[in-house]
Amino acid sequence: MVTRRNFLLGASAAGVALSAAKVSSVAMAALPQIVSMETPDTQPPLMPENGRPYNPVVTLNGWTLPWRMNNGVKEFHLVAEPVVREMAPGMKAHLWGYNGQSPGPTIEVVEGDRVRIFVTNRLPEHTSIHWHGQRLPNGMDGVTGLTQAGINPGKTFVYEFEAKRPGTFMYHPHADEMTQMAMGMMGFWVTHPKNPKFMAVDRDFVFLLNSFDIDPGSYTPKITTMLDFNLWAFNSRVAPGISPMVAGQGDRVRIRVGNLTMTNHPMHLHGHEFVVVGTDGGWTPPNSRWPEVTADIAVGQMRAFEFIADEPGDWAFHCHKSHHTMNAMGHDVPTMIGVDQSKLVDRITSLIPDYMSMGESGMADMETMEMPLPDNTLPMMSGQGQFGGIGMGGMFTTVKIREGLARNDYKDPGAYQHPVGTVAYEMNSELPPVQRQTATLSGDEIEFKARKPVSHGEH
Amino acid sequence: MTIPMASSLVSIPRVLVTLFFISVTLNGCASFSKDGGLGAVQKTTKDFISKDIQWVKSLEDQDSVQSRTEELLKKPLTVNDAVQIALFNNKGLQAAFYDLGISEADLVQTGKLPNPRFAMLHTKNNGDYKIEQSFTFNIFSLLTMPKALQIEKRLFEQTQRQTAMEVLRLANETRKAYFKAVAADQSTHYMQQVRTAAEASAELARNMVKAGNWRKLDQAREQGFYADAALGVARAERNKITAYEELTRLMGLWGKQTQFTLPERLPDLPLTVDESNNIEQTAMDQRLDLQSLRLQTEALANQLGLTKATRFINVLEVGPARVLEGKRSDPYKKGFEITFEIPIFDWGTARVARAEAIYMQAINILAETAVNARSEVRQSYKLYRSNYDIAKHYRDEIVPIRKRISAENQLRYNGMLISAFELLVNAQLQVSTVNSYIEALRDFWLSQSDLEMALIGKPLFSSGTGSPMRDNQMSMSH
Ligand SMILES: [Cu+2]
Repeated sequence: MVTRRNFLLGASAAGVALSAAKVSSVAMAALPQIVSMETPDTQPPLMPENGRPYNPVVTLNGWTLPWRMNNGVKEFHLVAEPVVREMAPGMKAHLWGYNGQSPGPTIEVVEGDRVRIFVTNRLPEHTSIHWHGQRLPNGMDGVTGLTQAGINPGKTFVYEFEAKRPGTFMYHPHADEMTQMAMGMMGFWVTHPKNPKFMAVDRDFVFLLNSFDIDPGSYTPKITTMLDFNLWAFNSRVAPGISPMVAGQGDRVRIRVGNLTMTNHPMHLHGHEFVVVGTDGGWTPPNSRWPEVTADIAVGQMRAFEFIADEPGDWAFHCHKSHHTMNAMGHDVPTMIGVDQSKLVDRITSLIPDYMSMGESGMADMETMEMPLPDNTLPMMSGQGQFGGIGMGGMFTTVKIREGLARNDYKDPGAYQHPVGTVAYEMNSELPPVQRQTATLSGDEIEFKARKPVSHGEH
Repeated sequence: MTIPMASSLVSIPRVLVTLFFISVTLNGCASFSKDGGLGAVQKTTKDFISKDIQWVKSLEDQDSVQSRTEELLKKPLTVNDAVQIALFNNKGLQAAFYDLGISEADLVQTGKLPNPRFAMLHTKNNGDYKIEQSFTFNIFSLLTMPKALQIEKRLFEQTQRQTAMEVLRLANETRKAYFKAVAADQSTHYMQQVRTAAEASAELARNMVKAGNWRKLDQAREQGFYADAALGVARAERNKITAYEELTRLMGLWGKQTQFTLPERLPDLPLTVDESNNIEQTAMDQRLDLQSLRLQTEALANQLGLTKATRFINVLEVGPARVLEGKRSDPYKKGFEITFEIPIFDWGTARVARAEAIYMQAINILAETAVNARSEVRQSYKLYRSNYDIAKHYRDEIVPIRKRISAENQLRYNGMLISAFELLVNAQLQVSTVNSYIEALRDFWLSQSDLEMALIGKPLFSSGTGSPMRDNQMSMSH
């Protein structure tokens, strides 16, 4: 991560870079300087050094946009522009985003703040920003044609309103949405309560769910894809590239998730129960909350979960739609389970020397096989843990809970060291003979067939 | 009509002696050559193909040809080996060599004195005799002999040109048959690879159904592709049979010798293409069919002159004669007999008109051949160039692109982005593309042979022919 110049407002040195704007300082005098981010790594929380105090959030694989105070108004500068986003090590996407990344930086303000946002358009077409979920004057709602003219390329528009309602929000264009959202234009917005003690938590993670259809070997999302996406992401990042959410044992942890994909996602946390404490509409009344381990987040919705991280370990946190925890895969590939290929391989390799038979015993092979792939793509299920292949990619990360972490320590603590005797183990003694009911054939219409595991020897 | 002429007998031998000397002088320029005229043919053909020709006349000749052939057959044949074998063994060529013999015999015959004729009449009535004896000689043939010799010499030279032409045509056809056979071999090999891929697909499909993962419909489709591919192999093999037998026939091989082997691959495309400087003029200068026709028209011109000169006289014979009339004891009356036909009804105009027509026909055939030769050489050069470009395009563009597609597909298969079936179909397409390149390369070599032929004689254009492979590719785009 490179910081080219310190941000004039004294934002913590937390990985903020100024773009070397070539515009004359006179012309730009009225505008806050443009701050840009060059890395997809998770940045530490941006501690507020002016304005009202609040407990900052941590944006998963993202960052918070610094601001300047101008006569009591918090001024932000968002630049809509093409960006190159690393979706995971080994794969980069040509997206559209804000200030160097997709999604754009998180905007954090406090209930009652007067907010002025400069939006500069460096895209090849007009854009706008809609402040999803906010109460604001109609003319600030950012719907091109309906509430404002589009921001043409090279132009800067100013949005100004009071952040009235505390809660969890997002921003995205409302101009050529199909293209601009599919290209990754979106960002998180948190309005903190005036009272920092209100529903205070120790760790507050935020991210957006988004999805892309990027053909292996290419870089730009197919913007016409309707449902058959192949990359399911948290903040335009896919496992194994998503940072873990690190928490100290006993911390109260909040995870805020917004869904900007075109399908719902049942988000599932292991080892803990959580409650949904907030929706797009605000905080949920405490007496209406019920515990669960999976909460479905519908399209366009936001949810805030809370739980006490009392169980140390590396806990999976993922979408429960199993295809969403894959990366790029062929959706027309026939099922090869139980298909004998042993006699064929020689014949095929005489024509196709690099041929290997795959999928005969399931797809788990894919976790360990390291075969050359097309440029710029990720193996299907390549996440690795301390015990081997995790078999998941995409919308998957971990909540890493450790004892005695410092309050602001978000550093990946590495693999969890399990206390002796707390890991599932292989039984080494002889098994008693198994009595199984045998399947019977009813005529020759239906064939029951037990699929016995076969050796992986030939791979 | 016989006119007995009173004359001294002494003069008869003198006339005969004169005739004898004339004929001996003439015979001096028309005797049989040692090589039967093949030397000139060898010399001409050597300029175009550095190959030996052998007129197999004796057992020793036969042995030498056989051992040299067997030597060549020991290893995979090069195109030059195939041509050499054909020149040694092709019986059609041997037959053509005998045209030389026939033509030379005509020439020698023309230079020979016609045989003298002896005629005798013997009648008897009550002791009265009539005896007429004559020993005549066609002196007119002596007058026409130099002209006739000239004509026959032209015709002999023409035969030599034609024989050279036969040699070169055989060489050319053998070259083309050779390239076709090698290409047919390679095509068969590639079609077998296509079949292997289709077979693997079909078997995989069968296993898919067995495992319960696929519909019978899908299996039937894969089986259909396999059936198509098997047909492709059968067609390629049929082509191969035709090509091999054509080559075998031209090389004049039979029995064990038909087990010859060919190399696995066609020769590579040459680095550069021949330039077309003055090819039309070259063709005009060296085409043997033009030379042969020119000699023929010259002979016909002579023939026309001769016909014009001799139209009034068919036969003029002269020789000593003696007649006895009366008693057997009476003396013979001696004299000359001169016989000739006087064309009272036939003034020879029809013969002259015929000779003129034949001559003018030859002139026009010569002109047509020259015009066509220019066109043929242009056509064959352009075909040669475009076939070069096509083969090069296959080699440098299409085949590498196909390979790149295959490599990318392999990567996509590795990532489970496409199925094994797609990979196998792709392998078939790649193989087919390589095969199309082989065919383009074959067409180039054929057109190169056509071009060489067009510079020597009339080519039989054969490049750019369709092929079963290409027909298959149409149906294979699944
Ligand atoms: Cu999901």
